[in-house]
Amino acid sequence: MEQKAEEEVSNAFPPSFSSSDLKQLLHSLPSNALNHFFSLGVCVRCILRLFGIKGPIYASIDNGSVENPVDSTASNETKLCNVCLGILQFRFYDDREKRMFQKDAAYDVALLIADMVRQEGYQFDSFSLEVSIPPLILQKEASLWSYIQTKYGSEPWFQEKIHTGCVSIKDALKFSLINPLEKLLDCKSSWCPFRIRLTYTHTKASEGVAKCSDNGGSCKRRKTDESDSTGERPLSSSVENGSFDCSKLFPKSENEPCHFTYNCFRTPFYFGGRYLKYSRNVSQTCWIIDDERMGEASVEEIIGIKVLQACRGDNYKFHAAGREDIDVRMLGPGRPFILEVQNTRLVPTEQFANNIEKMINEEENKLVRVKNLKLVGSDGWNLMREGEGEKQKQYAALVWTSRPLKDEDFQQVSSLKDLKVVQRTPIRVLHRRSPLEREKIIHWMKMETVAGSSQYFLLHLCTQAGTYIKEFVHGDLGRTHPRYDKNLRLMQCLMAKMSGTHTNLLVTALF
Amino acid sequence: MSDHITEESNFSETKEKEKEKEKQKEQDEAEDEELRKLLLSDVQNLPSTPPSAVESNFAIYFALDFMKPRHDQYVYRHANGLCVIGLAPSHVAFKDEGGITAIDFNVGKSDRSGVKVTGKRKKNAQHFESNTALCKVSTKNDSYIVRCCVKGSLLEVNQQLIKQPELLNASADREGYIAIIMPKPADWLKIKASLVSFEEYKKLREVS
Repeated sequence: MEQKAEEEVSNAFPPSFSSSDLKQLLHSLPSNALNHFFSLGVCVRCILRLFGIKGPIYASIDNGSVENPVDSTASNETKLCNVCLGILQFRFYDDREKRMFQKDAAYDVALLIADMVRQEGYQFDSFSLEVSIPPLILQKEASLWSYIQTKYGSEPWFQEKIHTGCVSIKDALKFSLINPLEKLLDCKSSWCPFRIRLTYTHTKASEGVAKCSDNGGSCKRRKTDESDSTGERPLSSSVENGSFDCSKLFPKSENEPCHFTYNCFRTPFYFGGRYLKYSRNVSQTCWIIDDERMGEASVEEIIGIKVLQACRGDNYKFHAAGREDIDVRMLGPGRPFILEVQNTRLVPTEQFANNIEKMINEEENKLVRVKNLKLVGSDGWNLMREGEGEKQKQYAALVWTSRPLKDEDFQQVSSLKDLKVVQRTPIRVLHRRSPLEREKIIHWMKMETVAGSSQYFLLHLCTQAGTYIKEFVHGDLGRTHPRYDKNLRLMQCLMAKMSGTHTNLLVTALF
Repeated sequence: MSDHITEESNFSETKEKEKEKEKQKEQDEAEDEELRKLLLSDVQNLPSTPPSAVESNFAIYFALDFMKPRHDQYVYRHANGLCVIGLAPSHVAFKDEGGITAIDFNVGKSDRSGVKVTGKRKKNAQHFESNTALCKVSTKNDSYIVRCCVKGSLLEVNQQLIKQPELLNASADREGYIAIIMPKPADWLKIKASLVSFEEYKKLREVS
């Protein structure tokens, strides 16, 4: 909807419009309806809306020079419009400046907004306007429209317009403000991450809602005596026989201007890449217990803080495809991650991402390294899901065993393929996870000698995702063990020896 | 003439592709070499006998003469607060000839091995005092009551012991553990005062 309105601005009327042009336009409209609307206290822009007129004319009208075309009385613009409550008349209470605001031209409102944008210091080459209108006004619009449908539905000019309906207040406001804003901000409006949000609120709106809830949530029934948003029978009959009291359409008690507040923001940017962790004292995410930090740093902070500072954003969210313990290194290709950065003041580019990657990798302490950092769209999330779902993970563990190794051990371990193990919830996570038995598969293993030692070796293994590697090696007091199988007795013995005696291990994730 | 030129250009194309392959191979090999170096970087300064997995992950305590003389038990406390309970090597049961022959969790008011604890919140876990009976271990001529030592929720008992009580004789300090208990922080502090450290245990029981 929003996108269409912005396109139509350029398609519709030519930008310059004089007051005589406006007069001509008003004269071309059906005079009985026109006069009626004026008498109902509807402002000129709302009238144009009701006749389905679009385009930059909304921006060009000067409130001070509008006349009632039929009897040349002073315009409605001095009184608050009964439908839009001043929104399209540029009358409102400015929540930022904390004062009433009343101007004649859209340009003046655009000035307010443009000043705010400049103060906020965003870099942008386009903007997207978002408008929020109180439900109270939408209700008024709906009841007026259904009244019009009932009264003028049979007239030919209405039949012509019935398929387009009236132009919404949001669209009319956009027609009013987009051209002047484009001039003041020196760029075009389009669907883009930089958003300018205009929010109108009304004090009576909450009362209206309260009335509805008293009624058991049935607003429509309640409003039958004032108006009829669904065109039910009681209204139409009284409208047709002329007995309908128009003053009931717009209760005076609601006749107050809206509160107006405006701000701008950027929708989040996403950086994707892979990280390597060289340290055994760095957690993946910020880990603080009782005001004390565990480890010396975290991957998310090392990457996130640099990116945040570089783009001047408000905050970041770190999403990784899986995780590793604080004392486990992450090497090899690295683990995929996505960093979401909110409300950046600068617009990041590919070059920008390259520079940040260099900055992170050139840090003195070399705790973490980043690869392939780039801007990603929704395709980034697919890569993440793949990364997590990858059924097989590869590790290297440095293991010590109390019995000296023999050649047969190496062969036996290499010969085992797709070994099934049963792991009860490891004691180290049992405090926060359900006590369950999980069957996992060890796809292959390979032992590698470590120079000069008969009791240390490097165990390379490839396992199913979700396998607890440390517990597989040290056995977790027998709570992790292989499924019994005649071929595996030998492995069992080796495993039992490894866990039964003294073992220690340092694990490195390599996938 | 044109054939000759085409042949030559094809030839140079394949040569380029080969060069690229070579380059990629070299890059991969360099990365592999770097990875190997990193993996073996842990290898420098390795102790000849590193601490065991239990020693690295738990704080080891002992309860001596718990309610009865020479009823010695160990308490391994993990950083997350969980306590593993078992028989210390100096427990009187190991002095009997033939060692431990059977174990029975059906003591007190319920069979401890029958309770199913589920979920993160550890639903259905029974709350026990430190002197509540956990199980009974039997030797050829005698039987001994093993107690919780720590006040808290009983999360699990070692079911393996029922079928394989000999685990108690062979490795009471590992696969022969008896139960896992989760105490509240305040309850742990209270009981900690009456436990001794590994070093003190070695001195008091003259174990090496």
